[in-house]
Amino acid sequence: MGELAAEKHVQFILSVEKKKDSLEAVAMEHLRMNGAYWGLTTLDLLGKIQVLALFNKIDVLDVDKVASYKQIKSKRNKKILLNLIFNSDVAALQNKDGSFSGDMWGEIDTRFSYIAILCLALLHRLNKINVEKAVNYITHLNFDLPMPTAVFCCVGALAITGSLHHIDKDLLGWWLCERQVNSGDILIKSKAKPGGLNGRPEKLPDVCYSWWVLSSLVMIDRVHWIDKEKLVKFILDCQDIENGGISDRPDDAVDVYHTYFGVAGLSLLEYPGMKALDPAYALPVDVVNRIILGK
Amino acid sequence: MNEEELRRSEATMADLLNQFERILESDPQIDEVGFLHPSQFSELNKEAGHSPSFDDSTVLRSADGNSVFWNRDHKLGISTQILLPLYKTAKHAFMAASRQYKALNSKSDVSGDENSLCASLSLDNSFEGDVMKHSRALLLLSCDFGTAWHSRKLVVSHKHKLSDFLDELLLSALVLSYSPKSEYAWSHRQWIIKSIAGKCSTLSEIVTKDSELVEKIAERSKMNYRAWNHRCWLVTYMTREQLLYELKRSRNWASLHVADHSCFHYRSVRPCLLFVVILRDERLMLKILEEQCYKQEISSSGYSVETYQLWKEELDWDEMLIKRYIGREALWLHRRFLSLFWIKHFITNHTGVSSHGKQNNSMNNDFRIFMDNELHLLDSCSIIPDNSFDDYQSQAKHSATYILWLIKQIPDSRRIEFQEKLKTENLKALLNKACPERSSTWDSLVSYVEAAGH
Ligand SMILES: [Zn+2]
Repeated sequence: MGELAAEKHVQFILSVEKKKDSLEAVAMEHLRMNGAYWGLTTLDLLGKIQVLALFNKIDVLDVDKVASYKQIKSKRNKKILLNLIFNSDVAALQNKDGSFSGDMWGEIDTRFSYIAILCLALLHRLNKINVEKAVNYITHLNFDLPMPTAVFCCVGALAITGSLHHIDKDLLGWWLCERQVNSGDILIKSKAKPGGLNGRPEKLPDVCYSWWVLSSLVMIDRVHWIDKEKLVKFILDCQDIENGGISDRPDDAVDVYHTYFGVAGLSLLEYPGMKALDPAYALPVDVVNRIILGK
Repeated sequence: MNEEELRRSEATMADLLNQFERILESDPQIDEVGFLHPSQFSELNKEAGHSPSFDDSTVLRSADGNSVFWNRDHKLGISTQILLPLYKTAKHAFMAASRQYKALNSKSDVSGDENSLCASLSLDNSFEGDVMKHSRALLLLSCDFGTAWHSRKLVVSHKHKLSDFLDELLLSALVLSYSPKSEYAWSHRQWIIKSIAGKCSTLSEIVTKDSELVEKIAERSKMNYRAWNHRCWLVTYMTREQLLYELKRSRNWASLHVADHSCFHYRSVRPCLLFVVILRDERLMLKILEEQCYKQEISSSGYSVETYQLWKEELDWDEMLIKRYIGREALWLHRRFLSLFWIKHFITNHTGVSSHGKQNNSMNNDFRIFMDNELHLLDSCSIIPDNSFDDYQSQAKHSATYILWLIKQIPDSRRIEFQEKLKTENLKALLNKACPERSSTWDSLVSYVEAAGH
């Protein structure tokens, strides 16, 4: 089995920021905030957040001069979140049935439930919404044929609000562990590799779906229902060993998004030498502890 | 670049944006946008039977003589060379118009003076027009510009005109023609349909057209889950006739496309589509049942014959596909859905009502027939030939997990009878034979199901 090319991934993340004036970069402008989160968290999980200082990249992040990088992160998080809260009153987006709308146009989705609960938890403002109703809304959704991203949002929201006892962990774990692709599966004969997890039946395995499913399995304590070693191998096979970065599946082109989900997956799988990640907050555990517990 | 040059190039770009917006204005029926490399312009003209040198109406040139737009037969091509500067210019123009529109709106809110209100209304109209014009140009260059979609919603809902909403459907379709997975464009459609539902007599026509649009887009971009998701969503707005018609159509579609099985290239693509088609079938069935329950106020004679038949047809159809296309996970998961549907609506719903002996008997009988059929299916699917193909191993695995899952789902009172006929150890042995690499998973699942029996 190959090893994690951590140094290469750090270089890859730093190089992404340089390509700024291409059409692709401009068209992706709306993802700059996401890109910062994916890049920064990856660096932190790899224990390399301090390289930002060496490369003099702090200005990129638009953060005032600060001495300690730990401070940078929490300050930055707070700043972003406070902006979010003040610009769009998250609590006001809660509907009568407990669900959340994405904006004033009223589209309802479990994504918005998760995001609202996450933001408010990080700001110690969960008391601004009706948590009971929010939980009630999620637990009464029809979960017969779930989609991993939606499962993650629901399980994550329940985990943050301490309400995981509301779900049948075995039944959900069953569906989730069936997402792992085995070497006898029909897909393998086309071009898939075993060990990875897919988003829906008969779809090719993908590093990002591996994360959505894996993090949910960790939260409901059923991660031993999948073959962890094979998943580690699948993620490592998706690395670009020469230029760094991780792709959705072996031999595809790498991007920051899948690099983050690959590294995050390895962290949840307890790959040696990495910082621990919180599966519900999708942030390093020490960051969560500092924000939530004030440690 | 010195200041003079900079100003000149800015003026050129403003001209280009004007030109672009004029094309959109003059040909409101444009239904497809694409981006062309400069070398493709002359080829396109040749194809269309024109001399490559000159054609006023088709190719539009910038001041320096380069081809920048191509417009014919309601198709629009934009040169990739000008995309970046044109995008920047459009964005700038849009942001300025949107700022003015907002400023004016907040002013007219507080001012009570009638004269100034009138003046601001006419101004309002011109800024409104600018916002709409520039945001349209912008969205045809970058479909993920959320602020532009947002502004359009503001203006359109402000004006309350049905025709404006319908125009938005056209714009969204146009954006989807070059970016068929755009989340913003799809959710814009949903917003429009939600907004006009109940106020528009042609809604069912619009819904049908939308459903056809999805099919067209799905044919072109093969793995488009977002499009199918929209089609699932449309189910909410369908009449009963439409629901039944769509169910029939989608069954035909799925039968056709699962058959691409023989074509190696499609093996990785089609199964996923099959799954979303089936998922949509399930939404359709749930909606049909829901309406029926509502209409009949759950009649005392148990479930309706019509619903039962609909369900039975689907179950038989699924079995036929399972036997023809070996080892397809999507088909087995669909079977789980159908069984759960049975358990939820035909058994548990009526155990309370059916204290009468007679009805209870027929219910028990139906249940036994159903279970016998499923066990037969397991028997025929769990044979792994000696010169074993992986497909048969998959089939055996899926059939075993299906039955295991069924044991878990049926009500406690019925499980006892069933467990005698089928021991979970046998299922575990079958699973380990079909897929030994997951033996620890099978251990966990079987002990979970066994625990549920106590
Ligand atoms: Zn992915």
